[in-house]
Order: sequence, then structure tokens, then C-alpha cells
Amino acid sequence: MLRIENLYKNYGKFRAVNNLNLQVPDGEIFGFVGPNGAGKTTTMKIICGLLAATSGRVFIDDINIIDRPKALKSKIGYMPDFFGVYDDLKVTEYLEFYASIYNINGKNRKKVCNDLLELVDLTDKKDFYVDSLSRGMKQRLCLARSLVHNPDYLVLDEPASGMDPRARVEMKEILRTLRDMGKTIIISSHILSELSEMCTSIVIIEKGQAVMSGTVEDIVKKVYHSRTIRVKVLDKIEETMRLLQEYPDVISVDNKGSSIVEASFKGDDVFLSQLLVRLIQNNIPVVSFNQAEGNLEDIFMKVTATLEEK
Amino acid sequence: MLSIKKENLRINPVLLKELKVKMRSWKAAILIGVYNLVLTLLTIFITKISMDEHTMIVDTSVILGIYTFMSVMQFGMITLISPALTAGAIAGEREKQTLDILLSTTMKHRSIIVGKLLASLSHIILLVVSSLPTFSIIFLYGAIGVKELLQMFLFYIVTALTFGSIGIFFSTFFKKSTAANVLSYAVIVFLFIGTILISIFYIYLVIMPKTNYNYNGTFFLFYLNPGIALASLLSSQFSEGLGRIFPGLFISGKQSGVQLWHINMIVNLLISYILIFLSARKLKPAKKK
Repeated sequence: MLRIENLYKNYGKFRAVNNLNLQVPDGEIFGFVGPNGAGKTTTMKIICGLLAATSGRVFIDDINIIDRPKALKSKIGYMPDFFGVYDDLKVTEYLEFYASIYNINGKNRKKVCNDLLELVDLTDKKDFYVDSLSRGMKQRLCLARSLVHNPDYLVLDEPASGMDPRARVEMKEILRTLRDMGKTIIISSHILSELSEMCTSIVIIEKGQAVMSGTVEDIVKKVYHSRTIRVKVLDKIEETMRLLQEYPDVISVDNKGSSIVEASFKGDDVFLSQLLVRLIQNNIPVVSFNQAEGNLEDIFMKVTATLEEK
Repeated sequence: MLSIKKENLRINPVLLKELKVKMRSWKAAILIGVYNLVLTLLTIFITKISMDEHTMIVDTSVILGIYTFMSVMQFGMITLISPALTAGAIAGEREKQTLDILLSTTMKHRSIIVGKLLASLSHIILLVVSSLPTFSIIFLYGAIGVKELLQMFLFYIVTALTFGSIGIFFSTFFKKSTAANVLSYAVIVFLFIGTILISIFYIYLVIMPKTNYNYNGTFFLFYLNPGIALASLLSSQFSEGLGRIFPGLFISGKQSGVQLWHINMIVNLLISYILIFLSARKLKPAKKK
């Protein structure tokens, strides 16, 4: 488990991290959400032992990073937001260089490098110079590099930035595979929809503080006092509205056009399924039935807007 | 029982990578080629103009002159090349955005610094060793033996190590390799010229009046001067000494005992150690409270 306690980081008078407290259980994909300058990268660098905290403690499996930095570094694989690669090395040589740093030698080193290239789908590029790879390929190579010592924790700062849509999907798939392998992944991204699809938990960071943390579902509950569903029907819109209004837990029903109804309600997923069943039983021609808000972008905008007002 | 950790025996990965990259590029071959070409052409030129036109015999004093010329030439080239090879080492990693990745590994910061320094130093050693055939011309005429040549090469290596450490130090402290380069050369210029100027002013303005214009010692700043150290080395190899050049500077000759260049090498090694230590410390982000 990764645990951050009362973390502060000052750059002169500017406070980048302000009393941050976090817990990331093992096996999670934990998302760092926040605007530019919120303190995400600073926190990640402190976790990786690249920056000294002004005060506070970071524990990985109950080891304080200050006490045993080497033991910690062997547990963490880090991929920075902006990074370079040694262009004058071949892909295999690049991985072998980092493997040798971790004292992985001989046949084992070759095997590790080959396995990692296979994982990130770069086997056919193994003899190419790193210089000749596309940006997406370099990102994947850097991810493979961060895995060379088989770390338990992966700290990935904007791993998909600058990638085209296909490369993003591929990166997402790789991260899911890594989660299935039992890695704990701490990831930041400004593409919030991606994070909400991947992450088991998130923390919203603003001005160096953890504004909210938990599963996306928990945060939705905290942010929105009610949930909203959007129902699209072929016709019978009046009847749909009437049926929805009959439920005492439904707070309001709005007509959002000729075929769309939005209803705010207090209730869980069981209630939601009952609503759908009732509509179907009453022969309402439902085309789609989904939660209208609650995606990470909405949550982020709502939370940060509240902070701005304060 | 003497136990040596296997980890300590392995070659520094940064050094290995640097050597691999540097040695397979055309730049390395061109550098070695041009370096030796310049050295050889100059040696041939000096030998030719020093040779008796009729007898084609080269006088012993001329041979020593050629040796001095070659040594100074080689020393000059090492002075020019060493900082350039190291001043970009860490700053370059920073500029290429590869430093954070390297620092996030388990590699010790000192090993990163030493790896970079040794990689540059090995380049210089290669240059020096490749110049051996040119230097061997001296053997044809006697006067200079293997011992003298080894002394000279040891002096080169220690000087290159010091200049390289200066380059690495500034490379660690400055984000841009240009700034690191400029400052490295500035310090080296100071070592060559600044130490002499400061010493002269200090000796004449402060020490001499106090000692009633009878100062016989060697002023400490002269021990730092690489040029004076080279003069001391050459003087100890084949002359009776240059004597008292001016108050505060005495260059002895062949006689035994600790000479100026010995002290210079010890001071240089000490400076290198301190600079490497400070550079490694600068790289270290997480400090214990």
C-alpha cells in the first residue's frame, strides 16, 4: 500500500503540495485528477524519490521513502510526463541498459527485454534505433523501461499525452493487462474520460490539496446529491414523464426535446433498474437509458468550480 | 576473509552505455584521427626544422625540445578537450529529459557521475594511448625513456580527471550545457592564468614587504597551476631545474624528493574527489532530516 501523510512541498513562497493525505491500496489503478499546476507531477516525483518533500511522509509497503530510497526505487517504475530517450541506442539496447542498472544480467536480461517488448507490442522494432520510433512507440518503450525491474508500483505521469487515438487505446489495453498482473498503478491524465474508464479510484487535486478521493461512484454520490438519468424514447414521451413522476424518489422530470426525458432521483442502481423495467412493462419504446451526469469531467468541473467560488 | 560484492565488480552501466554509443559513432574515429594527424604533422615539422641539413643528425637538446613540444601540445589538447567532453554530461541528460528517469532507478548518484566522468576520461585515455606511436619517435634518439613517458601519461590522466571533474561539476549545477561549458573553461583559464596573476600580486604586495623582500618559499596557488606543474615535470625529467623563476615560484630539477608536479597531482586528485562528491550530492533529491 502507498500512503502519503501530511505532505507539503514548497518552491520558495509557492506551495505546490499542501497537506496531502492519501492511501492507495494494492492492485488499484489510482488516478490523479487536477488542473495544470495542481501538484500532481510534484507529488508523483516525491513518491518516486526524485524530489524532497518540505515535510510529510510517504510510505510504500510501510517503508518511508526517505529512510530506504534504494529499496523503494526497486519497487517503483516511473514514467515522467516529458521524457527523452537515448536516440543513439537501439530499442533492445535501451531496455538492456536499464536492465543492467537493476543488475539483471545474462540470459535473464534478454528474456526480460523480449517479454517487455512483446507486452508493449514493439518486438518487430527491437533492432531499430530509438530515434526512428514514432512518439506513441517511444511512450510504449518508456513504459516497458519502467517495468524492466518488475516493480510492484507504477507511477505514470500523463502516459498517453500526445498520442493518437489508436495509440491511446493500445496504451489503455496495456495498463489493463498490468493491473491484471497485480501491479498498483498511479496515473495522471488530463483526459478525464480515459481515467474514469480505467481507474478503480481517483483523487481530485487542486492547489496541492486532495479535494476528494475514492471510487468514481463514491465521488459521484458525494458531489451530486441526486442522480440524473436520460431516457430516449421513440414516442409516448408524455406517458414516460408521467410514469417517472409516479415514483416518490424521483425529484424532478424534465422534457429535453421531442424524444428525451431527464429525471433526477435519489436511489441506487437497483432503483434505476426498477425504473427501466417499469418503462418496458408499460410498453414505452425506450431507445436508450443512461446516467446523464457523473462522468469525471462533470465531477471535476463541479468540484473545481466550487473551490473557485470559495 | 576478504569478501567482494558481485555488484562492485560489474562495470558501471552508464560507462558501458556511453562507451558503446561514443565508440560506434564516426565522431570518435574522426576525433582520434584528427588528433593524431595534428600531433604527427607538428612533430614531423619540428623534427624537420631541427635537423641538421647536411648530416641529418638531430641534436640531443633538439630531441628534448621535440619531446617538450609534443608534451605541451598533447597537454594543450587535453586541456581543450576534457571540459568539452564532460561539461555536457549531466546538463545534456537534463536537456534530453533523460535525467529524471536515470535518477528514478536504483543507481547511486555517485555511480552516475563517475560513469559519465570515466566515459569521457576513457575517450581521453584512448587519445593519449593512440598518440603513443607518435611519441615513440623520441625513443629512436634515446634521451627519454619509458619511465619519463609513463610519468607524463600519468600526469595527463590526472589532469584530464581534474578538468573532467570541473566539467561534470558545472554540468550538474547548471541546467544548460552551454553555461557549464563556459564556466568550466573559465575555471581552467583561472587555473592557468589567474593563479599566476593573483600569486604575483599577493606575493609582491603582501608577502614581500612582510618578509623584508626575502621570500624563498613556493606560494600555494602555484601548486594549482597545471602549466607550472607541467613545467615542473619536464624540468624534473631532463634538466637541472629552472630554479627561482620569481619570488614564490621555484622549479627544481632532476634531484629526488617531492616536486611541484607531485603536489599538483595530489591536489588535483583531491579536487576531483571533492567535485565528484559535490556533484553526486547535488543530484541527490531526498535528504534526510
